[in-house]
Amino acid sequence: MRQEQGLEPDKEGYHMDTIVNDFSINIATANGTGSQSANLILLQTMADMGVNVSGKNLFPSNISGLPTWYIIRVSDAGYQAPGDRTHIQIMMNKATWEKDIEACEPGTLIIYNSDAKLPVERDDCLVFPVPMTKMARGLHPKLARMIANIVYVGVIAHLIDLDDAAILSALNKQFKGKAKAIDLNTQAVVLGREYAAENFGDERGKYRIEHREVDEDSFMIEGNEAVALGSIFGGMTTLAWYPITPSSSVAENVIAWLPKLRHNEDGESTCAVIQSEDELAAVGMIIGTGFAGGRGMTCTSGPGISLMYEFIGLSYFAEIPCVIWDVNRAGPSTGLPTRTQQGDLTMLYEASHGDTQFPVLIPGNMEECFEFGWRAFDIAERLQTLVFGFSDLDLGMNKWRCKGFEYPDEPLDRGKVIRTQEQLDAIENYGRYRDVDGDGICYRTLPGSGLDPILYRGTGRDEDGVYSEKADVYEKNMSRLKRKIDNSRTWLPQPILREEVEQEVGIIYYGSMENTIQEIDDILESTGMMVSQCRIRSLPLSPIAEKFVRDHETTIILEINRDGQMYGILRKELPIELVPRVHSVAYSDGLPPRAKLYAEKIMEVLRDIGATEEVLA
Amino acid sequence: MTIKLNVINLPKDDYQGGKSSLCAGCGHDQISSVVVNAAWENGLDPRNIAKMSGIGCSSKTPAYFLGQSHGFNTVHGRMPSVTTGAAMNNKDLTFIAVSGDGDSASIGIGQLIHAIRRNLDMVYILANNGVYGLTKGQYSATADIGSKKKKGAVNETQPIDLCALAVNLGCTFVARSFSGAKKQLTALMKAALSHKGFAFIDVISPCVSFNNNEESMRSYGYVKDNDVELHTVDYIPHFSPVEEIEVPAGAYRDIELHDGSIVRLETISEEHDPSDAVAALAALHGAEAAKKHVTGLLYFNADKPTAAEDQNLVSTPLVDLSDEQLRPPKETLDKINSGFLD
Repeated sequence: MRQEQGLEPDKEGYHMDTIVNDFSINIATANGTGSQSANLILLQTMADMGVNVSGKNLFPSNISGLPTWYIIRVSDAGYQAPGDRTHIQIMMNKATWEKDIEACEPGTLIIYNSDAKLPVERDDCLVFPVPMTKMARGLHPKLARMIANIVYVGVIAHLIDLDDAAILSALNKQFKGKAKAIDLNTQAVVLGREYAAENFGDERGKYRIEHREVDEDSFMIEGNEAVALGSIFGGMTTLAWYPITPSSSVAENVIAWLPKLRHNEDGESTCAVIQSEDELAAVGMIIGTGFAGGRGMTCTSGPGISLMYEFIGLSYFAEIPCVIWDVNRAGPSTGLPTRTQQGDLTMLYEASHGDTQFPVLIPGNMEECFEFGWRAFDIAERLQTLVFGFSDLDLGMNKWRCKGFEYPDEPLDRGKVIRTQEQLDAIENYGRYRDVDGDGICYRTLPGSGLDPILYRGTGRDEDGVYSEKADVYEKNMSRLKRKIDNSRTWLPQPILREEVEQEVGIIYYGSMENTIQEIDDILESTGMMVSQCRIRSLPLSPIAEKFVRDHETTIILEINRDGQMYGILRKELPIELVPRVHSVAYSDGLPPRAKLYAEKIMEVLRDIGATEEVLA
Repeated sequence: MTIKLNVINLPKDDYQGGKSSLCAGCGHDQISSVVVNAAWENGLDPRNIAKMSGIGCSSKTPAYFLGQSHGFNTVHGRMPSVTTGAAMNNKDLTFIAVSGDGDSASIGIGQLIHAIRRNLDMVYILANNGVYGLTKGQYSATADIGSKKKKGAVNETQPIDLCALAVNLGCTFVARSFSGAKKQLTALMKAALSHKGFAFIDVISPCVSFNNNEESMRSYGYVKDNDVELHTVDYIPHFSPVEEIEVPAGAYRDIELHDGSIVRLETISEEHDPSDAVAALAALHGAEAAKKHVTGLLYFNADKPTAAEDQNLVSTPLVDLSDEQLRPPKETLDKINSGFLD
């Protein structure tokens, strides 16, 4: 149905060519109304139809009542970032009603809950009033508020041609086979669809979903779950954690998966899980785990890392392996707990007081979240140090397409642990901190082994682990620690390059920016600019990153923070003659990166330094 | 000369540590020697012990006992969490931890509380002298009201009684002793080592440099004169036949510990029932009001699962598991990938 305001068919072109699999849906709801189920059903339905789709949950730090938006981007081009505009707006939240309407560009389809009894005066848009609450109440008075959300799934199914079988399968997944819930919600979908068919018929705008070939091996998953699975396949023996958004679901997924993956037939576990009293205790527990010879991990976010700093230094100095996953939220302080950022990078890389340096693994997709989940333990035990996994809210808490996880291609690397007297005897002049092999990594024994004991400490000690305040002993030890981490530059996860022949402009980026880079590249290319890309996947920097800078006349360091943290690291670590070639494009407003915005900022910097004319010429 | 061996045929020398760098006469050194004696006499294998500590004078002591044991001198107040992680991964280890009143009553009180709450299987020795030693003599949070250290004003701030706190938290073994009461402390230490669960021993351990003056309520002289013993404590090890032990003339109470050893509490004046938490608190508060120090086994409860038991872990310590036990097989991942293992 067309609204009473009467929109001329040719006015905004909604009768023009149909747009297939290339639009964004914005769903405005209130937190805690069960809308997340409806949104995930929509997302899963489209994914099951083989369509490339991504979902972004912009939620408040609140249990119920505050506004939430869910953005679904459908893109045959494979774009995963939130688009630059909304094509279909669903309105369920009275609190943001006016602003949501205001934000609609002409031509937007507006589906709204007419039971809200609020006006939608937009004669330049196509509007679809649906009495969702009333319909839901007819189905189940008590759950009306939640069911109303499912009604819009049915309405939109009619408008954009969602497949019934796919919806049903998504409902099944969402409600995990619970017959009652599936039945009730299916009825709500059918009601919504029937209402839309009856009242709007063919006047349903120009956006359509069409089937694409379904990749049977791929599925949708959140980064936090991928990390959780990775850590379980990495042989984690202890997870110690303290709840904090956006990292809690790493731990919750570990807890959910352990019974299926790491329990024996008697239900006994090979991995302890401790919800600690705070983040200080969480990191203490995983250091205790590493001391004993186990594989300990904690997951947290910036405020937690701040609290852990003292212990992190102990791990570096005493050389105790463990793993911390930082799922970055917008800081500083409490900041924006439910928004994303890459603002913790420098605080991880040189965490704690004194001179330190830590390996930081930076996944950019679901496959890497899993891989780095298990690999982090191997790296930690090999280097006998704390290793950071660096994710963010966007990667961690949103659902992304995953092509399937690859099984670890190598056995667990337990590092230089002496387990028998024979092994100990084979080492000439063993000392816990003596660099026998010349790679900066010393051998260690474990408590309970009865082999050459050590009293670990955070104070100065000599190569035998005996307390020492001697100047040369301290300096030599600190130099070895630096060498130990430095040596990992060539074998930590290496950068991934996509190089253009021209090699004029290069972009270095990392982490969740991976999901926006293709669209940024296409935008830049549309202006005639061919840029190479280098995605950094770990710190300390690989020599490949240095070569990339050397090979390009200008390199932009693109990141989701204010100060250009990776840029700062590059400036510090690159040879001095390369420093003038690198330029920072850093921006963070808490939202996942939008391609156009970052592309424009790149153009701006290139213009400022006079590189554009050259490139475009 | 024959060297005396313990029940596992080890000489006492195997339990000694390095030379102490604490002040001459420090109560903490007496605690260290009690740890050596108790571990040796109990026949514990030093290689299966892990020594844990935080930061402070007391936390240095693991260097001075059990030189054949691994150990970890961690960060200020946070030793309980490190011990928790280690205990989960190797439940075959015996954890002997030393902490001070700065460590336990201030910066680390949260971790102490939660280790008790979880009933972590460890012996937690609090070397309690009422002052910070390494930073040269500031009051700690256990300093008694009306007590005066060598320099500075009288303490007027309410102390935290960590034994009372432990009882309130349901700690399964709560004792107080005095570093100068070697016999009592050794018996309690041995009993603590035989206990499965969190064994808390608050040892009043005078600081000879900053808090051993006449006006101090934690000086050797004051504690000796004002030590109210709840009972005489004897320890009967599980490997020693009970019939060989002399039966005391007066009333006594035997408590069986987890390894089969017995702690025998011989009544001195009024009988104290260590299973009665209220009686333990009454004894503590009564002593505080009378400006006395009550010592002995204040509270004991054998029936609480330990932190590791709560986890329902496999019987093999986690650190000894094979790669196959730690990493699920490829088929399992294949199932996850194809959505068959939800």
